[in-house]
Order: sequence, then structure tokens, then C-alpha cells
Amino acid sequence: MSAGGSDGTADRPADLAAEGECPEQAGSSLPAVEVPRKRKGDVEERSGTHGQHSVDFQKDDDRSRSEGEDQQVKMKCFREPHRQIEKRRRDKMNTLIDELAAMIPACQPMARKLDKLTVLRKAVQHLKALKAGTGSAFTDTTFKPSILSHDDLKHLLLRAVDGFLLVVSCDRAKILFISESVSKILNLSRLELTGQSLFDFIHPKDINKVKEQLSSSEYPRQCLIDAATGVQVQVDAPARPPLLSTGARRSFFCRLKHSRVAGKQDKHFLPCTSKKKDTSRYCTLHCTGYMRSCPSSQLDSEGDSEMESSDLSCLVTVCRLLTPMSHQPPKELTIRPSEFVTRWAIDGKFTFVEQQATTVIGYLPQEVLGTSCYEYFHQDDLLHLADKHRQVLRSKEKIETRCYKFKTKYGSYVSLQSQWFSFTNPWTKEVEFIVSSNQVISRGPGHTKDEEAGNSKALQEDTKQIPIIPSLSSGLGTMIYAGSIGTQIANELMDSYRMNSSPSSRACSPFGPTQEKCPQVSPQTSTSASSREEASGSSSQSQCDSRTAAGTSSATSESLAAVSRININPIQGEPSQLDLDLVPGLSSFSSDEAAMAVIMSLLETDVNMGQSEDFEDLHWPF
Amino acid sequence: MTANKEKRRVISRDAARRRRQVESEVFVDLSRLLPFQQSVQDHLDKPSVIRLTLSYIRMHTLLKGKTGIKVEASHAVKCGQVMESGQEWRGCDRGRDDEEKKTDNVEASEETNMFLRILEGFLMVLSTEGDMIYLSDNVSKYMGLTQTELMGHNIFEYTHPCDHEEIRNNLRLTAEEVWCGAKRDFIMRIKGALTHRGRSSNLKSATWKVLHCQGRAKVCVAPSSVSCLLLTCQPLPLSHTLLSTHTFTSQHSMDMRFTYCDQRMTLLLGYSTEELLGRSIYDLCHILDTNCLTKNHLNLCFKSQSVSGQYRMLVRGGGYVWVESHSAVIPSVRPSKSRPGAHQPLCILCVTYVLSGVEEPSLQLSLDQAVHRYLR
Repeated sequence: MSAGGSDGTADRPADLAAEGECPEQAGSSLPAVEVPRKRKGDVEERSGTHGQHSVDFQKDDDRSRSEGEDQQVKMKCFREPHRQIEKRRRDKMNTLIDELAAMIPACQPMARKLDKLTVLRKAVQHLKALKAGTGSAFTDTTFKPSILSHDDLKHLLLRAVDGFLLVVSCDRAKILFISESVSKILNLSRLELTGQSLFDFIHPKDINKVKEQLSSSEYPRQCLIDAATGVQVQVDAPARPPLLSTGARRSFFCRLKHSRVAGKQDKHFLPCTSKKKDTSRYCTLHCTGYMRSCPSSQLDSEGDSEMESSDLSCLVTVCRLLTPMSHQPPKELTIRPSEFVTRWAIDGKFTFVEQQATTVIGYLPQEVLGTSCYEYFHQDDLLHLADKHRQVLRSKEKIETRCYKFKTKYGSYVSLQSQWFSFTNPWTKEVEFIVSSNQVISRGPGHTKDEEAGNSKALQEDTKQIPIIPSLSSGLGTMIYAGSIGTQIANELMDSYRMNSSPSSRACSPFGPTQEKCPQVSPQTSTSASSREEASGSSSQSQCDSRTAAGTSSATSESLAAVSRININPIQGEPSQLDLDLVPGLSSFSSDEAAMAVIMSLLETDVNMGQSEDFEDLHWPF
Repeated sequence: MTANKEKRRVISRDAARRRRQVESEVFVDLSRLLPFQQSVQDHLDKPSVIRLTLSYIRMHTLLKGKTGIKVEASHAVKCGQVMESGQEWRGCDRGRDDEEKKTDNVEASEETNMFLRILEGFLMVLSTEGDMIYLSDNVSKYMGLTQTELMGHNIFEYTHPCDHEEIRNNLRLTAEEVWCGAKRDFIMRIKGALTHRGRSSNLKSATWKVLHCQGRAKVCVAPSSVSCLLLTCQPLPLSHTLLSTHTFTSQHSMDMRFTYCDQRMTLLLGYSTEELLGRSIYDLCHILDTNCLTKNHLNLCFKSQSVSGQYRMLVRGGGYVWVESHSAVIPSVRPSKSRPGAHQPLCILCVTYVLSGVEEPSLQLSLDQAVHRYLR
């Protein structure tokens, strides 16, 4: 019996379990000495058919040894994996039993550990008690038995989703059904809303959008995105889609009014504010769902006699409140009133200036955009800031500058201190821009002309490092060469990228390391006209191709073989960090195979969603 | 002597057999008590029976105990239910007869079913250790594996190793987060045993499926403190019906530079297609949203799909709009008969929804908004 139980194959644990055999017996009860004798026959029978890797490896080695040693080694190979399998099973079972004991109140006060059978018996008693407590209504045979009662599931679902179910008619956007949970989100009761027009509650600017989504005219022009090519395809839908199809899916965002006080609508306050702008508060919701025709006999038709015989078209959606935490300002930037944030290109030219900057520097953003930050730095600070500039381009950390002076519009200087950090594109891992968070340091004594004269001496000392354009006057020359500092530093960086550019520095992709050889993805961030042309040239080419491919894409998807399995590869380091340098060689699959796998899974998702969705069997809850 | 030994061996074998039989009987008893159909109960193996029993008990504990969370309590009061100490959440309906309860139950079940179907996702209750304590039964539609096969197992056995760190971070709940019902929103890859026609296959031919998980923390105080995450998990579809003028699509190379965008982008944001080609999306967005975009980009690089959350896109000429992008990495289909071994270039496809009107239209914050375009 024990030999039968100890199959030795690792991949059929279910069989062993189903047999109900207690496999501990195989290894433990019999003395080790006996096993080789018992299994000798087995080994010779099975050695030809055994699939275990360890045995195969061993077999190759064994051929060179003597027969006696041969057998002993083979014994070990058989026993080791088997023992390990059994041990794992026993451990797993023991862990489960322990967990079970921990959950059962009756088992807990025991001082010593309870044996398996007792725990199981107590579990049976406990379940019986639980079932008695819940009441028999929910275990009615008409209902499918389930772990949670529907109430409980509903409760959990609503905790997880800040949302509600909404059914609106397509012609007038009448709210046919809205679930109770709407009260939690909009502070308006279900009763107030049912039967009303949805447009009364939508933000005025979103009304057209929602109207579009609800329109399901006989021949709607639908814009679908072909999943295979990502290109929009205009499709004239059939007169009446029989079941739900991807064409009937709707997904949009809209803003709905919500009341501040539960149960009261703001319209009580309207008389005084009717002339003022609508100050209702709105919250943004993501609505996803399907167009559906619902038999009007089940609806609360209020005297719409012409609707009685025909089916009404409606939209059934789940409206979900957007997670506010999905937008969080970056932790590196703490914005206070006397602070502002700016962004520069790697050569120091401003590309983004926050509006608050104006209160500090006097310039409007558009006056400063495109100019180099060095034009505003005081001469004294040029060296130190240039140094920090170089540093930040090469570091992944925040660089803090010392206090420095920034020229305002009015000619005076304001003392600032900044934190800079460079933003690296996660894919190319090249620096794209620098973000600067600037704080005002309370001003010390104002500058005098003497000081400025003194500064020009310091300037001359700097000339060793920075070339001056000699033909221009010192004033203008200062500005020009200041700008060129930034450009020079940027060029240094670009040179280092060109020199170091190698496939190993590419980021990983979901598909494998082979992607970096793709000609379309330009590894350089240089925006020279030629590379841009190349990019636009090749992209328009792919556009043409993808349009022609659009027609055949459905055919190809059908003919594709089953999805290939994507390898699991251990990847070092945290993906959440922006440091992808540590990624070793990835999947050994060619990118084609893996890429196809991804596209198949995307198509799967689309096909499965709404494909066999027929709501015929669902009772409309109204 | 050997006869004695033989006898003892027989006795011990019989005893063992009897023990095993008794144990099997208890397992059968236990499986009968589980709320599944008999056909399902019969096919459960021993570890599964224990796993499912654990889930059953844990869910009861979670739902029975006092929550003490302010939000929940006030909501319950609002809905006319009073949470009494020690009472089950649904235990406050004493006094209502069975018929009423039945109708309510029917309604609740229909609504929940419809909700889940339209949401196109399943519910997952995760313990802080990552055990999938509960999964709604429609999980089979998305993962190809049934509720009974999965419930009680640990999520780390089914998710992509690279995502484990992120999942662990999301599971980490501080006391404060739990009491406030902290929200969670992340993307993970899970094994899906579905064929491309939507039929279940087995785990051995599983592929990675990208799921968008959103939800919040839940705690139950008595009898013992148990906290967990309630999440809805939804696959991210790609094709959409776009009737809305407030949506546009764009294609990008893997570094998020535009390679294509449709004419609606021009209508909504003012940039022409030619202007945008080769420009990075990071240049077009508000500086404070860099983090949001980076996270989105990383999700795309690693997981191939992402939902961005809300961020601001700058409008040509001034101001910005709030948008949300749903993106995926796709291989751009290109006939490569001449070079059959050629690598398929990847690109990112984004569907961007505009959420708001143009805010602060007179404000010019970035270079790209300037009328005279800066040429680098």
C-alpha cells in the first residue's frame, strides 16, 4: 500500500489527497533499511519512465559508476524528492489546522496543542452554531448557497466601491432606477432622484457629453478603437445589436451635483441666489455600463402610452466616485504660500512657471518662459548654481542650493533657496527636465552699487572656467554668457548620453530586452529636426500600415495560436523606484511571441466583456 | 517471533486505517456544512475543505463584529438602521417577518448581481497577510478559476513576482489608515486561466492578466482586531465606444513621446498633431502632476496597462484641463514579411477623458502654451 501511495511524481498531489491515504506511513513507520529492498523492483521498473529532473541528472552521472553505488544513489534520489513532497504536504496541513484552531473560540483556551481530529470536530460544531445563528431564511434551497448572504455581499461591495447603480432612459434621461447607495455619495435620497431627469443633476458643461453617450439612434456612428492597432475605426452599427457587444459599452466621466447637507437640496436657497452663478458643488464620477433595451412593461411608465408597446432603450451604469488619492502632489514638493515651483529644460531654460511665482519675482510666467534661469541669477551665485546644476543632472536625489539671489522684474533681487531634482524618463532613463521648488528667504540688507561693483571682480576670477564674449559690453555680455552656461552644462550631459548609450541602459519592457533594438523608438532625447522627422515619418508609415491592417486584424486574431505563457522572471529591485538599472536579462521569449501574448490578453478582455452578457435572466429591481 | 511482529504490524495498519476513516468522515461532515452545492462539496480535497472553512469563519467574524468606524456608523444611522453593540450588521431586522426578509434578500441579490456584472469585476477581501479570504463567485469569469479553487489561498501565489512589493505596500495598514477607511488604488498582474474565447483552461497554461484594484480598508474590533482590504478587481478593457467629444486617443512611443493623436485633441486642447509629434507628454502637463504621470508610465513599462488617475493637461494658449488616461502598451501592427524575424515595435495607446472645462484660461504656465512656439 505504501508503495502505491508513494507515487513519486511531484505533479499530482491532488491524487494523493483524494485517495485519503495517510502518506506519512510510507516514510516514517518503516525502518529505512527496508526501503531499498522494497523499492529495488520499483526503481528498475520506473527508471525508464520517470520524469523527474533530479533523477535524470543523476542517471547521467550514474552510468559511469559501479552498479552497487548506482542503486544507492538512485534510492536517495527517489526518497529525497518524495520525502520533501510529503513533508510539504504535512506541513501545509498542519499549518491549516493551526489556523483553524486559532479561529475557533472553543479551541483557544486550551493550554496544549490540540490534535487534528479534535480541531476538526470542533470546527464542525462551530459551523453548525454559526449556521443556526444566521437564521434559516438565507439557507433556503431556492437560493444558491454562498459564503456570504446577499446583504453582506452588498455591504462589502458598497464599502469597497463608492458608487451606485444607475439606470436612465435614453430618450429623456429619466432616472429609472438608482440604488440606495447614492445617498452616501450625493447626499440625495433615492426617492428624490428616481423619476427625475438626470440632466437636472449634471454639471451644465457635461450635459452635451452625457446626451451623446445616451444617444442610440438607429444607425449610430460609433468610434471604436481597434484593439489590435489602436487606430480609430468608424463603424456603422447594425440596427439593433442583439446582445450586448463591445459596441454597446459606455464609459464616461461626468460631474453630478451633490448636496452638502443630507436630505436637503440646495434649491431651498435658490430664491436668493438665483441671479448668481450656480454655486452647487459637484463631484466627478466615472460611469461605465451598457446600453440595453428594457421591456417597458416592467417600467414605471407615467402615462407614456406610446411607449407601452415598444422597448425602451436605457443605459445601465455603475457610477463610481473617483479616488481622490489617485492624484497626489509629489512628496518632494511641499507648496507653501511663499513658495513656487518651476520647471526647466536641462539647459536651464524655463519651460514651466507656476502662477505663484509672479508674486515673488514680479514677472508673469510668459515673460520668463524660454529664457535661461542663469539670466536671473546674481553673478556671485553663478558658480555655485552652475555646480549644483551639473550635480542635479547626474544625481537621482534632491539637490539643495544655498541661498542665492534672483533678479526680479523691478531690478531688485530676492533671496531664494531651492530644491532641485531631475526628472528621468522611466523608459529612456535620460533626464528630461529639472523641477525646482523655490522658497523665499527673508531678505537681508538690500544690494548697493558698491556690492555690484565688487561682484564684477569675482566675475573676472570666474573667467578661467567660463568664456566671455569679449566684443560685447559687460552688461549684455554677462547676460549672454550666463545663458550659455546652462547650454554648456546641458551639452556635457548630452555628450555623456551619446557615449554611454547602450542597450543595457534601456528600461525593461513587459516583453523583454529585445525591444531596445526597435528602430522606431529613438533612444536619444535630442530634439533635432532630423530625429523628429524620422519619428514622424516612421509613425505616419505605421499609421498607414495599421489602417490597412485594421481590416485584416480580426482575421489575424482568429488565426493566432493559443496564448503563449509569459515567463516569470525574478527582477531585482523595487519597480516603484525610478531606478531600472538593476534589471538583469529578462524573458527569453522573443518580443514577437510575448507581444502577441499581450495583445491576445487584451483582446480576450474585450471579447469577454459584454460578449455573453445577456441580462435577460436578471430581474430589473424596479 | 516474526508471527508476533507480523500481528503487530497488521494491528497497527488496521488502527491507522480506522483513524484515517474517522478523519475522512469528519472531513465529509465539515464539507457538508460549507455553503456550497453538493456537487462542489464532493470534489473538495482536504486542504480545500479547511481553507474554505477558514474563509467562512473569517468572513463571519469580520461582518459580525463591531466596526466602530465613524463613517460606517453614521451611514447606518442615516439609513435608519441602528448598530447595537454585539449585534450583527443585519441582525437589526428582528420584528420583520420571513417574507419581508425574503423579498429584501431577493432585491439585494439582484441589485448586487447587476452591480457586479456592470462593474465588470469581482470582489476580493484580502487579509493583511495577503490571504484571499473571500472572492465573489463571478471571479471565475475573470480568472478562469472558481471561487472554491481560490478562496483561502494567498494572493502572492497567483500574482506576478514583480508586483509583490507593491501589493505588500498596499496591504500595510497603519492604525490610522484602518480607522479612516483608507482607500487603495493600484494595478497588479494576476494569473488568468482563460482562453481567448473566454473559456476556462487550467493553471498550467495561465497568462498574466492585468487587474485594476480599488477599494478600502475595513476593520472589525471585537472579538479580536481584524483588518482587511475590500477591493474590486477589474480587468482593463481597451476598446471603447467613443461617442464623446470629450475624449481623445493618442499613441506614444515607449518614452511617452507622441507619435499620433486624433483630431479631437486639437479641438480640446488646441495643439495640432504636427506640433505634438515627438514631444513628451511630461512637457504638456502641470508640474505638480509629474508623479502621477511617472507612476502611470512605470505601470505601463512593467505591467503593460494603466489607469492614470486625474492630472492636469495644459491647454494651448493658456490654462489647463483635468483629465484621466487609460493606457495600454500594444505592439503596433506592421506587416513585416520582408523581415519576419524583426522585432515588433511597441507603442503606448492612451484614451484620455477630459473631466473638466478649461480652468484659468488666461494663465500661461508653460512654454508650449506660448503663441510663439519655442524651438529647441
